[in-house]
Amino acid sequence: MTQTFDKNTRTEAPIRADELTALRGFLDYHRDTFRWKCSGLSQEQLARTHPPSTMTLGGMMKHLALNEVGWFGSTLAGEGYPAPFDGIDWDADPDWEWRTARDDGVEELRALYDDCVRRADVSIDEALARGGLDAESVEQSSTQGAFSLRWILLHMIEEYARHNGQADLIRESIDGETGE
Amino acid sequence: MSDSAADARVDPPLHADEVTMLRSYLTYHRDTLRWKCSGLTQEQLAQPLPPSDMTLGGMMKHLAIVESSWFESVFSGGKYMPPFDAVEWEEDWDWEWHTAHQDTPEELRALFDEAVGRADAVVDDALARGGLDQESVRKNRSGDSTFTLRWILVHMIEEYARHNGHADLIRESIDGQKGE
Repeated sequence: MTQTFDKNTRTEAPIRADELTALRGFLDYHRDTFRWKCSGLSQEQLARTHPPSTMTLGGMMKHLALNEVGWFGSTLAGEGYPAPFDGIDWDADPDWEWRTARDDGVEELRALYDDCVRRADVSIDEALARGGLDAESVEQSSTQGAFSLRWILLHMIEEYARHNGQADLIRESIDGETGE
Repeated sequence: MSDSAADARVDPPLHADEVTMLRSYLTYHRDTLRWKCSGLTQEQLAQPLPPSDMTLGGMMKHLAIVESSWFESVFSGGKYMPPFDAVEWEEDWDWEWHTAHQDTPEELRALFDEAVGRADAVVDDALARGGLDQESVRKNRSGDSTFTLRWILVHMIEEYARHNGHADLIRESIDGQKGE
């Protein structure tokens, strides 16, 4: 049982586009790149590390699912976390999603991830309708006030790209697959 | 940049116009790469994390040519900066990765800083004339479209972030240093 994703179905971010189209294009490209990096692997392979790092691809998928609903659902839209992230004592177990991913089935992880991406896109659409890319987050940062949607989108692009870089090396160490 | 370089980085502002936001994120990731490569010897900069053959020194030299290529060559229509203008690329498309081990840390850093300075001059010059919709002089590989300055800037952010993800794991394997 594995996750499937054909990297040839990724859509490149358009090279001549307005700001919003470019940002969403790059975000979708990196979400799909990440799906591809995790595809075709068993539950055991998704739980492998590339020492000395302790990161795993499965943990990363659960972490990025949490990031999607954390930034777009919780911070931007002011909503609570969906299950399974809503009942966690994060202070007691700050790396819960990384630590528990190995217990999840491959398809279960991907379904959670896809659901969080869908929820995030709804929150983005709602924020755009109320304020465009300058729309302010409902939840505030600790010291600098609200986040703009522009900042959150760019942050998610660099968050994904950084994790995809880590995923490149982890995946290569699992089965030799490489590629941008 | 010293070992405390992580603290010298400036976080992108939470609220800003498009140009300020893009340039702030790009600067943040350039500085992250400087930090990931700082405090290491020439030998350590040439140390891969197998099975990948990437090295931090090669990455610094690679990103120097990526800067020159996108901004000086593709956008402005000019030549690569030295020493990249004199390389026989057909003989070795990965020349910068393969030769970095011969360069001292100071030489690599000076080359990188110069490439960043030249790239910023191109961006400053372009923005003095117009906005992010300005199109590149050179076209894409299929020859059917130019690139907007906007696309090039967002691409550079994700290019750096992805390589910084590689750098995270490589650096941790060299001396245990971690961190975003």
